[in-house]
Amino acid sequence: MNAWLGFAILALILWGITGVTQKLSTNRISSERSFLWFCWAMVALSAVVLLFAHPHWGLGRVVVLCSLAGGALNGLGAWTSFRALESGGKASIVISLISLYPLLTVVLAVVTLGERLTLMQTAGAVMAIAAAILLSLESTPESAS
Amino acid sequence: MSETALSRRPPAWVLWSMATILLWGTWGLVSKIASAGVDAYVNQLLYTAGLAPLMCFVAWTVWKRSAGEKREGRAQGIFWAFLTGILGGVGNLAFFQAMVKGGEASVVAPVTALFPMVTVLLALVFLKERLGRVQWIGLGLAFVAIYLLSA
Repeated sequence: MNAWLGFAILALILWGITGVTQKLSTNRISSERSFLWFCWAMVALSAVVLLFAHPHWGLGRVVVLCSLAGGALNGLGAWTSFRALESGGKASIVISLISLYPLLTVVLAVVTLGERLTLMQTAGAVMAIAAAILLSLESTPESAS
Repeated sequence: MSETALSRRPPAWVLWSMATILLWGTWGLVSKIASAGVDAYVNQLLYTAGLAPLMCFVAWTVWKRSAGEKREGRAQGIFWAFLTGILGGVGNLAFFQAMVKGGEASVVAPVTALFPMVTVLLALVFLKERLGRVQWIGLGLAFVAIYLLSA
């Protein structure tokens, strides 16, 4: 197995677990307070990284800007997704719609970075997005098995 | 603005959802660009710095609304939220490392976006939630997608 795939699957598993822990949290406290403590955990993790990981510095301006933008874009995205749910959107529809975000990444990566997907990978990307949408749909009493 | 024009405007939740797609979709791209010149640890530090302004805004919102909030179960809620942050943060490190190790953004983003499959499986086992037919189909598709994307 490629190293990148191993790390991608690790991210998938960890983020998948957060789907449960997030629910356990927002069942008890508001989404804002939950998000705030999520951020505090990020700060704590960064402190550990700073203490023990001995990160290598010497960075280009574009790289620094992109890394900073990564945090801002991801955090803002979490916030706008909460706003979508609070604005009256049905959870099953909002989350399914939001699941389309990798499609934009694929398009941007192909257009701006010149990445090329094989036919199999294109089919996989389409299937992954379809799977994410189906998994996000709430089960109804008729369809629950 | 006329009433007809107002009624033609998409509902707020659609606009917030589109904003989310735009923000998260772009996040995948900037992560790949950053991975060319920074390791996962430095990225985590800068990522947290990028998150800081939003964190301040949310802290202010929480402080403003805290008077009316119930205290029962708060400690447990905070524990789960903190754990979510730690798992999410380590997940971010792994996501970024996948890019550093040569994974293309157009492949890593769809693979990692399959994380609801793990949530659904955990909810099935630990929360005793029942899966609908479409979710079972989604689960099957997810495994096929990972196989195809890793080809």
